[in-house]
Amino acid sequence: MSKVVTLKAFFEEARSGRLTGIRCGRCGEIAIPPKEFCPACQERAWEPVPLDGHGTIASFTVIRVPPRGRAEEAPYAVAVVKLDEGVSLLGRILDIPLDALKVGMPVRFRPLIRDEQTVVAFGPSQ
Amino acid sequence: MRRVAVIGVGVTKFGKHERTCAELFAEAAADAIQDAGVSPRAIQALYYGNVVGGEGERQLHMGPLAASVLGIPTVPTTRFETACATSHAAFRHAVMEIAAGVSDVVLVGGAERVLNLPTDAATEYFAYASDAIFEQPTGITFPGVFALIARAHMAKYGTTEEQMAHVAVKNHRHGALNPKAQFQKEITLEQVMKSAKVADPLKLYDCCPFTDGGAALVVVSEEVARKSRKPVWILSSAAASDSMFLHEKKDLSRVLATERAAQAAYRQGGRGPQDVDVVELHDCFTIAEIVATEGLGFFEPGTGGIAAEKGWTSLGGKLPVNPSGGLKAKGHPIGATGAAQVAEIVTQLRREAGPRQVDGAKVGLVHTLGGNTATVLVSLLSSE
Ligand SMILES: [Zn+2]
Repeated sequence: MSKVVTLKAFFEEARSGRLTGIRCGRCGEIAIPPKEFCPACQERAWEPVPLDGHGTIASFTVIRVPPRGRAEEAPYAVAVVKLDEGVSLLGRILDIPLDALKVGMPVRFRPLIRDEQTVVAFGPSQ
Repeated sequence: MRRVAVIGVGVTKFGKHERTCAELFAEAAADAIQDAGVSPRAIQALYYGNVVGGEGERQLHMGPLAASVLGIPTVPTTRFETACATSHAAFRHAVMEIAAGVSDVVLVGGAERVLNLPTDAATEYFAYASDAIFEQPTGITFPGVFALIARAHMAKYGTTEEQMAHVAVKNHRHGALNPKAQFQKEITLEQVMKSAKVADPLKLYDCCPFTDGGAALVVVSEEVARKSRKPVWILSSAAASDSMFLHEKKDLSRVLATERAAQAAYRQGGRGPQDVDVVELHDCFTIAEIVATEGLGFFEPGTGGIAAEKGWTSLGGKLPVNPSGGLKAKGHPIGATGAAQVAEIVTQLRREAGPRQVDGAKVGLVHTLGGNTATVLVSLLSSE
């Protein structure tokens, strides 16, 4: 029996500070939900698995020309973070000076809450 | 499968226009039909590409609108959208329709109009080509996606901002030779390096502009092509995808969909990278050209920056890339781009490119990338 983690459930958990992944019951592949078939082995046997939120920056950028409605926030950094469990997430960087950012820097998940919206974000690892 | 050829091309001037997408497409399409020497009545289908018309013009159902403005309102139409690869995807489907024997004459193309919109609105609409739940809320932009790729390529291979700047200088030099280009002015390395930061490490001159424009192609069966002036044959047209999610990209320094589409196009076309004489590829950002020249098999991984720096991809170099000026200087009306790239290769293979002609070009490659590198199309064309 596959347990699908919906986007709604993922972001409700994320809002409370917890990241949820899914693990393939056949091959052990870990993925970010939502997903039906395992991209690695094509099985449909996911189980939810908690992700502890620690990872390192795989790549980052500083956005200086933002989309509409984000002028006051710019400049801000966005990074792809490789989590210790092996999966990655894109997120906003919080509370790290822009000129201190480096590929390989350790960071830790925390939610960025904007009204009804929950955004994946990462702050200092400590 | 039947052989397929392009017998007519049309491209509007790229830049700012006070006309709707349908008007821009119709001008290019009328030029393409006249270039092909066929009657508008001969068109059996229209495959039309547009990306942000729904947001920018509050216009959907744009296929029949484009056909109506062109003056062939009873032709069956379909609208395509695969972000920036839109009209190359339309082209591939037209090729398949003719190869399969369903039609003999198909009109393909696209248009985009964004310069009438505020820049932050256009930036927002283009960002819709990234995932709406995980990615757009982080404030990532289109330049931001390619900045992530640039940073990964720099960290892995030592690619430099100067090498990226060389791509911009080269494509502006080419664009200065193209009367349809948005920018027909050369720029210096220093201008690129000193331009304002957009999404570190990308600067303004690393980025293609927002552009209005239209492009169209008349794609036909061998039987029709044999009666035409200078048919250009399609050796293959392949598509590949990669995960839509940036968090699922296996290696940010590569575009895996480019590698897969190229392998399929080479295999289907019975050619390899060493057989290609001229290339139009998707340089939405300077780093995108560097990564594409590697993924298409022209240069080893990590050496695309060196190739740009040494001038190997210039007109007169060992493999001229983007003689039209590319997206960088010719401009990037996203829904029209793929068709405009095919039009340039057809023009090159007909030896009608004037001062930007690549001498002796017989085989050309077209590469178009959609959005966050999730969609790529590669087609091979030949004058023989
Ligand atoms: Zn599996």
